[in-house]
Amino acid sequence: MSAFLFFRFRILTPRRARAAAAACLLLAACTTSNESPVATPALVDDYGVSIGPATAAQRIISLNPTTTEILFALGAGERVIGRSRWDQWPVEARTVPEVGDAIRPSVERILAARPDLVLLYASGDNRAAAATLSAAGVAVVALRIDRLADFDRAVRTLGHVTGLEAAADAAVDSVERSLARVREAMRAVPRPRVFVHVWDNPLMAIGGGSYLSELIDIAGGRNVYAERPEPSPQVSFEDLVRREPQVILAGPAEAARLRTDARWADVRAVREGRVLAYDTMLVARPSMRLGEAARALALLLHPGTVLP
Amino acid sequence: MRRPPWVALALVLVAVMAASLMLGATHVAPGAVWDALVGQGSDDVARTIVRSIRLPRVVLAMLVGAALGVSGSVLQGTLRNGLAEPYLLGVSGGAAVGAVLAVAGGVSAPSLIALAAFGGALLAVAGVLTLARAAGGASDTRVLLMAGVVMGAFANAAIMVVMAAGSPDVARNALWWMMGSVAAAGWRDVVLLAISLGAVGAALLHRARWLDVLALGEDAAESLGVDAGRAGWRFFVLASLLAATTVAVAGLVGFVGLMVPHLARSLSAARARPTMIVSALAGGALVVAADLVARTVRAPAELPLGAVTALLGVPFFLWRLRVER
Repeated sequence: MSAFLFFRFRILTPRRARAAAAACLLLAACTTSNESPVATPALVDDYGVSIGPATAAQRIISLNPTTTEILFALGAGERVIGRSRWDQWPVEARTVPEVGDAIRPSVERILAARPDLVLLYASGDNRAAAATLSAAGVAVVALRIDRLADFDRAVRTLGHVTGLEAAADAAVDSVERSLARVREAMRAVPRPRVFVHVWDNPLMAIGGGSYLSELIDIAGGRNVYAERPEPSPQVSFEDLVRREPQVILAGPAEAARLRTDARWADVRAVREGRVLAYDTMLVARPSMRLGEAARALALLLHPGTVLP
Repeated sequence: MRRPPWVALALVLVAVMAASLMLGATHVAPGAVWDALVGQGSDDVARTIVRSIRLPRVVLAMLVGAALGVSGSVLQGTLRNGLAEPYLLGVSGGAAVGAVLAVAGGVSAPSLIALAAFGGALLAVAGVLTLARAAGGASDTRVLLMAGVVMGAFANAAIMVVMAAGSPDVARNALWWMMGSVAAAGWRDVVLLAISLGAVGAALLHRARWLDVLALGEDAAESLGVDAGRAGWRFFVLASLLAATTVAVAGLVGFVGLMVPHLARSLSAARARPTMIVSALAGGALVVAADLVARTVRAPAELPLGAVTALLGVPFFLWRLRVER
């Protein structure tokens, strides 16, 4: 039951790798179609709220693992005064005090830390918190990072609100260049059909709405569910079998399970021994290391390839 | 006949409300809380926390509990059935379907979700009444009960379909809504529910005598000049309206409307008016206390309000049962 997905991965079980992978994918992937950003010259966040003129926020609470990582990468790490319990990367972020959850956060706890900027994950159930914080005079930027373009936009937005525009532009350029290098190197390879396993019950795949689908494309593969607009759509096992994936990508624990699960034995990729485990820390969340992630996927899909 | 413990209950209510203003996810010194309340003190953040976050939340919790208590006591009185509760006529199911459909349709503004929930509740109540009428007895409480149960089952099925089809975001948002919460309380919610509780409560208190007459049985009521069917129907609609407003501002807060009237009857006279007032006080105190627990034991994370009301209420209820026997 998908209702319990979120709760399940909030508890760190011994199967941490699997849970963490799913958590990252879901956090990065959850979306409803009509909350996508509006493409206008004026900067707006993913609630459609316009972001004012450039500022240099000094006391930032970031409740979104991706924005936290971006802030540290831009050199604004020491201005982060609060984070959610999910913001564990980079390692220095762990020394920042936790102020609670990333979804339905404690507004009271946030206000008590006296931030001048709060970064939220732009899901529907964070809207109330955003409204209360804005009413209390705190700047709020809510971002949802599903696709590569969302990541670039998030980096530039964070540059804008921290006064680090140059660093942001440089970071975006560097990520784009490293992605372009992998794309160029993998241009001519034969493209295997790839299924990315997100969750089992219900069966969920990575769809075309996710950066991971784009990374697979860059890395010389074809996501079998690329035509689905959602980041992580539910799919049927029957349909998956018919699409004959030549490669299955999953987190390490999940990959090991799929290789031996009788139900999966007849899926083409399993039959052909091509259930591949990706590095969850690197791939399961959009980050500054997107280029590295694309590279790792390329080597996974096409072992022996020499990349520049 | 015992005198209802107004004073004791009112003191309990004031005490839990005061405690709720003092305690929260962060520490605010009692002096600072007082300063914030009276608009003094130099600490802007403390003032925001106390006046814009805690105060509307505590008042809303009190009103939700009071409204559900009143609604439950009226429905149990009308039906002469201790299993009756405010969500009986499809209020909860209809509201949940409305809210879940809105969430799945991409709506995320809390006020629009509330509106969808309220609309869903009204539609469901109208549906139940129509269903009962078609079955030949809109004033027959057993037919109404049956129609409400059927509507609830249908609503449940609809919710499961929408949640299963939606993204994990939709499911999580909908699930939280169905577990009840006053976390996002604002003054607009408070005013809305206060008006509803004031108007409906006054109408109910005004006609409380009819409830006492209904309690004697339909024949006795008829002989005293009260049209039992019509009176019962009106009580149903009023109590359901009240419940629908609470659902719009706080989601589904279970248990209160079912158990609080029992407590009220055990604490007060069996007459309708004191039972209603005691239910309001006890319901208010229960929900305020439950919300205090919900937002402090795992702070800064919160527990679902609907679950905490039952976790707190059931042991108390069992203790009263023992005392009563």
